[in-house]
Amino acid sequence: MTTEGNGHLVRLEGIHKWFGDLHVLRGIDLDIDKGQVVVVIGPSGSGKSTLLRVINLLEEPTEGRVFFQDTDLTDVRVDLNKIRTHIGIVFQGFNLFPHKTAMDNITLALEKVLKLDSDEANDRAMEQLTHVGLDHKADAYPGQLSGGQQQRVAIARALAMRPKLMLFDEVTSALDPELVKEVLDTMKELADQGMTMVVVTHEMGFARQVGNRLLFMVDGSIVEDGVPKEIFANPRDERTKAFLSHVL
Amino acid sequence: MSKAARSTGETRPDRGLSWALSQSTPFSLAVLGLGAASLATVLLGAPIAITLTGWTPVDTLVAAFKSGAFRGVLLVGLFGGIAAALIGFPSHRRMQTNVSREECLAGGFMGIQAIQLSSFLLWFSGGNVEVFALNYLDFAALAPHMDTFLNAIKNTVFLAFTGQFFGIVLGLILAVLAISKRAVVRAPARIYINIFRGTPLVWQIIFIGVGLPLGLRIQIPTYTAAAIALSLNTAAYAAEVFRAGIQSIERGQLEAARGLGMSYMQAMRYAVVPQAIRRVIPPLLNEFVILIKDTSLVLVLGLTAVQRDLMSWGNFGVANFGNATFLIVTALGYLAVTLPLIRIVNAVEKRLRSGLVGVTA
Repeated sequence: MTTEGNGHLVRLEGIHKWFGDLHVLRGIDLDIDKGQVVVVIGPSGSGKSTLLRVINLLEEPTEGRVFFQDTDLTDVRVDLNKIRTHIGIVFQGFNLFPHKTAMDNITLALEKVLKLDSDEANDRAMEQLTHVGLDHKADAYPGQLSGGQQQRVAIARALAMRPKLMLFDEVTSALDPELVKEVLDTMKELADQGMTMVVVTHEMGFARQVGNRLLFMVDGSIVEDGVPKEIFANPRDERTKAFLSHVL
Repeated sequence: MSKAARSTGETRPDRGLSWALSQSTPFSLAVLGLGAASLATVLLGAPIAITLTGWTPVDTLVAAFKSGAFRGVLLVGLFGGIAAALIGFPSHRRMQTNVSREECLAGGFMGIQAIQLSSFLLWFSGGNVEVFALNYLDFAALAPHMDTFLNAIKNTVFLAFTGQFFGIVLGLILAVLAISKRAVVRAPARIYINIFRGTPLVWQIIFIGVGLPLGLRIQIPTYTAAAIALSLNTAAYAAEVFRAGIQSIERGQLEAARGLGMSYMQAMRYAVVPQAIRRVIPPLLNEFVILIKDTSLVLVLGLTAVQRDLMSWGNFGVANFGNATFLIVTALGYLAVTLPLIRIVNAVEKRLRSGLVGVTA
């Protein structure tokens, strides 16, 4: 099972996902390589978030295989917890642990999963908090932070694991408009540093400027896959045209 | 509203005592004072009048109820209350501010309460006080039993704490089993919970204290059996409280923890359960208040003198000495334990509802 991903960082093969009678993903094949910033757009209910969560198997595909670095994650013998330490995920609702400070939110997994000693964990956490510009909020609880600050802590928490891939699930959708930019700026900086990212978003400006690959999803299928600027300029699929004319 | 009290809205308006006074009139304050004084005369003056004569022994207490001082105090309260009610209710609509209206109404209501209490006590003191006092207020007869009473409180509190401690530990384990995605793990927990929630606590106490020793040919000391039954029963209810608490934590918390590479058990232990525990503190304290009262059921096991809890103590007293004052003192004993606890529950609930979850850690 070591070479089946064909050297791609992520490979999805024939992914189908059913929620009861609902066919959410309808045969997804997708390769993602190191350094790509893949932006996923599409109307709501098109399966974007589900696709993202299949990559780290937070959603188990009903059918098909998921490879990460040539490891088949759908193989029951694979230690998913170990794989997930290499794949950071940030959610729409932040999902910080409300009973822990910003600092402790980050150090928790460093200590309990990566088994770092507390000094090293604290150093790493502080490094990431500084990175997202929130080192002065290390001792604040999530309830004392704005939405934008919470989301940046959530990004720092994921980055502290030193992942090889970052997944962003509509991370600005729950934010007040004036707080969106600080989070997008953090993500842009990350992209500039060469992080491989998959970003589900409604921010078309971000998709165009930061993404170097764009997927357009409709009804559980990827109907467009290419360079963002070209797709925005010349959408081939009728549904892409219709969607873009609504949101642009 | 007076001009001085009108704020610009830029600063939080001061709604303290001086503001309230600025909204009152001498008349509304007088009505409020009259009602409060009448009620205080009955609530405080009557016991003081009795104390002047004496609460024990019973014939002194009877004399106190019949004394001029006691009746005089009640009459003062009665007429004061009538006056407060007659003035307060008709006049409140003529007041110019909300505060003064409320003061007139409050005076009237307190007047009515003074009327009710004083007329009842006047009627009561005119009847056969002696039988009543002998049965319910014969505290002198209880004086020799005070050491066993304190021991009974100790036993009640001990049984309640033991039951709560083991109940919470076992309950948390049951709750984690009960939310497993695997039916074979859930089933035993559900069966346990349903049996203990579906049978009377009294049945469980008798079965463990009497039934098990019979059938299994084992010795279970009565007191231990009582503690075991209370623990096992509390566990079933605590499990349901924990389960509801854990399931009330947003799914995203578990996903975030799993997304960081934590195992299911790690995610539960570090992310979900600590939050759930904060959320279930008020319902668990409520269960504790109920448990304190439920410890009274161990009286069916026939405890020895040193093992008696509050209820057994009261029951023993009323049965052996024919004096219901034992039951009155028993109730006072329970209230002395439960009322402070109920206050704590309310304070904790208020704090958890208002504050930041994390900051209360």
